[in-house]
Amino acid sequence: MSAAPRARLDPPQSAALVAFAAQWRARAVDALYPWREQAMQRFLRLGLPTTGDESWRYTNLRRLAAVDFVAATAPSDEAPPAEPAFSPGVPPAALRIDLVNGYPQLASVPKLPGLTLTSLRELARGNAADLSTRLGAPSDSEQHRWALLNAALFVDGLHLAIDGRLDVPLLLVHRTRGATANTATYPRILIEAARGSRATIIEWHLGAAVATSFCNSATQVSLAQEAHIEHYRIFAAGAAAMNIDSLEIRQAAHSRCKQFTVALGGALLRTNLHAHLDGAAAELESFSLLAGSAARHVDCLNVAAHHAPRTHSHQTARAIAGGTSRVIFNSKVVVDAGAAHAESQQSSRGLLLSPGAEIDTRPQLEIHTDEVKCAHGATTGRLDPNMMFYMLSRGIDRPTAQSLLVYAFLADVLTGMSSSETRTSIEAALIDQLPDSEILREFR
Amino acid sequence: MLKIENLSARVAGKDILNGIDLSIDAGEVHAIMGPNGSGKSTLAQVLAGREDYEVTGGRISFDGQDLLAMKPEVRARAGLFLGFQYPVEIPGVNNVYLLKAALNAKRKAANLPEVDAYEFLALIKQKMKFMEMSEGFLTRGVNEGFSGGEKKRNEILQMLVLEPKLAILDETDSGLDIDALKIVAKGVNSLRDAKRAVVLVTHYQRLLDYIVPDRVHVLSGGRILKSGDKSLALELERRGYDWVKESRVA
Repeated sequence: MSAAPRARLDPPQSAALVAFAAQWRARAVDALYPWREQAMQRFLRLGLPTTGDESWRYTNLRRLAAVDFVAATAPSDEAPPAEPAFSPGVPPAALRIDLVNGYPQLASVPKLPGLTLTSLRELARGNAADLSTRLGAPSDSEQHRWALLNAALFVDGLHLAIDGRLDVPLLLVHRTRGATANTATYPRILIEAARGSRATIIEWHLGAAVATSFCNSATQVSLAQEAHIEHYRIFAAGAAAMNIDSLEIRQAAHSRCKQFTVALGGALLRTNLHAHLDGAAAELESFSLLAGSAARHVDCLNVAAHHAPRTHSHQTARAIAGGTSRVIFNSKVVVDAGAAHAESQQSSRGLLLSPGAEIDTRPQLEIHTDEVKCAHGATTGRLDPNMMFYMLSRGIDRPTAQSLLVYAFLADVLTGMSSSETRTSIEAALIDQLPDSEILREFR
Repeated sequence: MLKIENLSARVAGKDILNGIDLSIDAGEVHAIMGPNGSGKSTLAQVLAGREDYEVTGGRISFDGQDLLAMKPEVRARAGLFLGFQYPVEIPGVNNVYLLKAALNAKRKAANLPEVDAYEFLALIKQKMKFMEMSEGFLTRGVNEGFSGGEKKRNEILQMLVLEPKLAILDETDSGLDIDALKIVAKGVNSLRDAKRAVVLVTHYQRLLDYIVPDRVHVLSGGRILKSGDKSLALELERRGYDWVKESRVA
């Protein structure tokens, strides 16, 4: 295989950008090459974001920019089998699919009626033009730059074609495995839900067990008419992990999508959600549960774009921050001229648990039509002293009272989860993240 | 059981209590009455240990212990209970969890084993029946969406489960219709015995028809102006609070 021709661009400035460009030059040309090259050129033209970029105001990528990332390799056959210790309680009935360094491990996955799983590499070999159409034209927008980098550099990924009602949740476990430090991975997931189909899909990002790693993941979900999808992305990587995830959702008429973003791990996490309500009466419910602890930095950007009449979007975010963590929640609703009678709601609440923590929430609205109903509210505060005193006055000790109040604060997101099994496993992982987790476990 | 000596306290920089003296023995029910802003609720909150209320002078002993040196949760475990004038809503924290945690905290402090989950449910159901509360209460958040009357009933339910030595009930009668008032009074009366004491903070004499006090005190300007037996409450009802203030001046 020959190396890809060099993109003719300005000299990159940061170690990370140099490394990304080097990875691009080193990667083998495949059938998606023209599409990838366009994406890479756009990414290099945009460069790394700075705090001068509107959607990166609160997140400085200095730390990421300084790392000389190395592309992860395909997991070798000699690699040890999947480690038995998978900390979160996996929903027992879920169909589990492991992705190691972005490579789906499909050999041992049982067949499920209504579900077709194919590796993206295989799809590209079959009909690259068709695949690049489904993956979509590379965007020019600075908000999509990390999805562009993923497009250029992903080696493999997973395509899920859903046609029917799946009665067990699908659990995608993302892991990074590599001997070297500073491993970068580019998992890519493409989910296509056919008309009237139903499925619950959980992406659980475990990341690397050790060492600094960077996971630049991208997922696209498209819902045909009347499809109902519940999608979870749970980030529970190790303390040194950096993760930037780009999620794009496209919804046809009368489709319904429930999306949960749960931040529980890593050093730096940036999540993007771009949801397009393309068809009339499409409905999106997005829930974000963002837990900052120690020195974690979590930056969550949600954009819901209403392109069609009678579309609904409902965003609920709950952020907690302890230690010296920082949690940012930016949500934006755009209502196009053609989206008459659209309705949107944004509710974001932050709870500060320590004096060194910071939470920033910013709901935004951009409306280009009349006859819409849009509401938003954002508050950030500390634990309510009246609630605290009430519990203390009943003899409950301070750590227990605090834990119960924190947990209660997050309840609005947890109760939105339709699958109780999934909720239980997320709660188990979440409780580990909260102060006084032993106490909370007793109360479940 | 409770001895308050020359207690003064301030809230948000304002002196509210200005030298309270009060002594309550086991087996007694005391009513503290007084006009709005007289310091009744402040006294109740100070007794429960509210930390943003600053005690500027005086002493309180509870069962021979220095109450002011105890944290609110320690006071509760030692047998002090405050029935709130405005019970706090805590959405997301289940009523039963809260009550079970409270009972277990108290039992732990007394070196007793934790209560068994089934036994606890049986106990709480029995008390709920006594307080004429619906079972829906079991699945709800603490005071979440409760009406004023339900909240007050819930306070008494908590009291019955925790069986405090000293119950301070801050305007538990306010906002209750006559039927709810009778139920609340029934709950309080069921707890009366020779080992316990109750302090009723109230505006109105009406509650005292159902819970007959041993002593009645009139609080005004952060001081107890007058004490007497039940007849004092009736006289207040007839003559108003100004009568006490005037007779004091005279």
